[in-house]
Amino acid sequence: MAEKKQLDAKGLVKYFKDEFKTKIKKTTVKKRVVGLEKKESYFVWITIDKSIFKDVIKHLVEYQFPHLAVVSGNDLGKTIELIYHFSLDHGQKFKEISLNIKVEIPKSNPKIETICDYIPGALITEREKQEMLGVIVEGIPDSRRLFLPEDFPKGVYPWRKDGKGMEKVIKNLHEVKK
Amino acid sequence: MSFSMIRPVLVQLFKKPFTNKFPVKYTPKSTTKLLEAVGEGKAQIIPPVETPPGFRGKIQYDKEKCTGCRLCIRVCPSNAIEFKPKEKKIKIYLARCTFCSQCNDVCPVKCLSMSNEFLLADTDKYSKDMIVE
Amino acid sequence: MTEKTTYRLPIGPIHPALKEPVQFEFEIDGERIVDVDVSLGHVHRSIEWAGTRRNPIQNLYLAERICGICSYCHPVAFSLAVENALDIQVPDRGEYLRVIQGELERMCSHMLWAGVAAHEVGFDTVLYLTWQMREKLLDLTEYLTGNRVTKAITMIGGVRRDITKDMVPKIQETLDYFKENFEKIRHTYLDDKTFKMRCQGVGVLTYDDAIKLCAVGPTTRASGVKKDVRVDQPYFAYSDLDIDYITPDILTGEIHGDVYDRIIQRLLEVKQAIDLMEQCLDKMPSGDIVAEPKPAKLLAMLKKAEGEGIGRHEAPRGEVIHYVKLVSGEENAYTWKVRAPTYNNILPWIPMLKGEQIADIPIVAASTDPCMSCTNRVAVVDRDNKYILNKEELHQMSVEKTRRLLK
Repeated sequence: MAEKKQLDAKGLVKYFKDEFKTKIKKTTVKKRVVGLEKKESYFVWITIDKSIFKDVIKHLVEYQFPHLAVVSGNDLGKTIELIYHFSLDHGQKFKEISLNIKVEIPKSNPKIETICDYIPGALITEREKQEMLGVIVEGIPDSRRLFLPEDFPKGVYPWRKDGKGMEKVIKNLHEVKK
Repeated sequence: MSFSMIRPVLVQLFKKPFTNKFPVKYTPKSTTKLLEAVGEGKAQIIPPVETPPGFRGKIQYDKEKCTGCRLCIRVCPSNAIEFKPKEKKIKIYLARCTFCSQCNDVCPVKCLSMSNEFLLADTDKYSKDMIVE
Repeated sequence: MTEKTTYRLPIGPIHPALKEPVQFEFEIDGERIVDVDVSLGHVHRSIEWAGTRRNPIQNLYLAERICGICSYCHPVAFSLAVENALDIQVPDRGEYLRVIQGELERMCSHMLWAGVAAHEVGFDTVLYLTWQMREKLLDLTEYLTGNRVTKAITMIGGVRRDITKDMVPKIQETLDYFKENFEKIRHTYLDDKTFKMRCQGVGVLTYDDAIKLCAVGPTTRASGVKKDVRVDQPYFAYSDLDIDYITPDILTGEIHGDVYDRIIQRLLEVKQAIDLMEQCLDKMPSGDIVAEPKPAKLLAMLKKAEGEGIGRHEAPRGEVIHYVKLVSGEENAYTWKVRAPTYNNILPWIPMLKGEQIADIPIVAASTDPCMSCTNRVAVVDRDNKYILNKEELHQMSVEKTRRLLK
């Protein structure tokens, strides 16, 4: 990119579509209007294929260094869906765009590349996904457990809904005490 | 001026302290003896600070108005309300209540309200004072 | 000849210098810190998992109990996420009321932080002074919402209680009290030699590190980065008000990124909060305070709806983001992800603490205003019979001791 440009929400969607064409599965742009002066805020949701994930992140970092808020995860039956919540264009009044990138990975091979080499602040949220959903993040600098204790049973992933979740581990204290 | 707190500290020496000394000024040697003395009228307890109107204290239940619609049970965040199917009325366990007053908002006949009682400590979770029915 | 190596100092979960449990392991060489390792997870409580077993109205109160100080920002971010997912439009008066409550909570939190920072430096008298001033704010919160800490004022689509005309004089009286006494606080913190000696040049976070490690809140604004969700993205009524980014060079003219700058940053934010509340009271429109006043209808709407949304809010410590996914046919949320601001502010501790002395650890750690209760949320209840028995035994023992004391 020669000069630093700033795109609005629709321009951002076009920027990714021009580079990656068919590998981008779905895009949505949502708009919300608030206040008496009716200012608008934009939310962009892009679903991408797993094979171009690292290239998309590289493309984004070259456009502007994003602010990574968090990575959230969904258990959709046969696949795990990871959503990377970014936000761009901070520093100017009322112009920030929220960009959410969705990636689906199959449960039979739950691997995804790390983005810590581009964005060092992603370490904590990637460690959390490893222990909570059973995702294997390749290339992560530090793969210890973050929130769960060390003697938590292996193979139990609290956010999953398919039997590997919390069903066997919990007991309701109020039933036990009666 | 390098030591900025000297003046406020010296001024405070001549003022009344900000703390409200509830219930008594100094810790009593035996709590039960103090409570007995208050019951007989021999000792005084300094009252707590006044609660404002709209304070969310112990819940009050008007049994006559209740229709048994069970909407309050659906919105209670801590499952503190139990339904009595034979009488079609409810029973509220104060030990689990979070004092959010969401049940007050949802009730269609307005039979629930919050009083301003907040001194509710007890040793038994299921004693008479801790159940409202 | 023996080799000179570094020494490992654990400052464990429970320590008098820390306000909340977090485990540090320092590699120290003499008095200087060479390397830092942080581990979390001591206040885990299984809130995100418990949220999937409750409907969204019950989740509001669960979200409130994630943290005592941030007890307004979590429910409000959750309801912003649900409103984003379902395209619910909040009436204008509701938006202005939400701003007033949010700024009131910001003032309470920053006054608490000011007292804690003074205590970490060793200046206990200032702790008592700031917490005495904070009592006025808590009295105002109790008058407006019914309780000092767990406010329970948010509802999906608006707020639950209105501010009527006869409540406005009390709000104005509290704000006037703060405007008069602001100079006292500013003089104590910024002109006092003790604070200058302890805080200047300590715990520096550079501009580049703050951007790369995705730091949020006053921690990053004190290093010069202009990141503030209220000004970046319009939500509530902030887009109608006169608001701008606050960085320390408004007062002093330069940015160092040390602990002293963070004190300046938070004091300036208190001043901004007073100004925003007065603007809101002037401009408040009339109308409804909530989009759907009957909760039963709201629950029916949530059962049919489908969608996902995010809600972001500027809490006193930084950016809070919640993600909610709803599916049709079920009242409960399918997924709920909470990310508290301290989550992002943990990695900046490492460059801030390297090279400092051991005695500076409490003030540097406290200067980012960590709230560990917000950070740890998912946990497990118990694993085998032995653990349950111990908990019952503990309960039995504490009941017996109380009975002994009463005799």
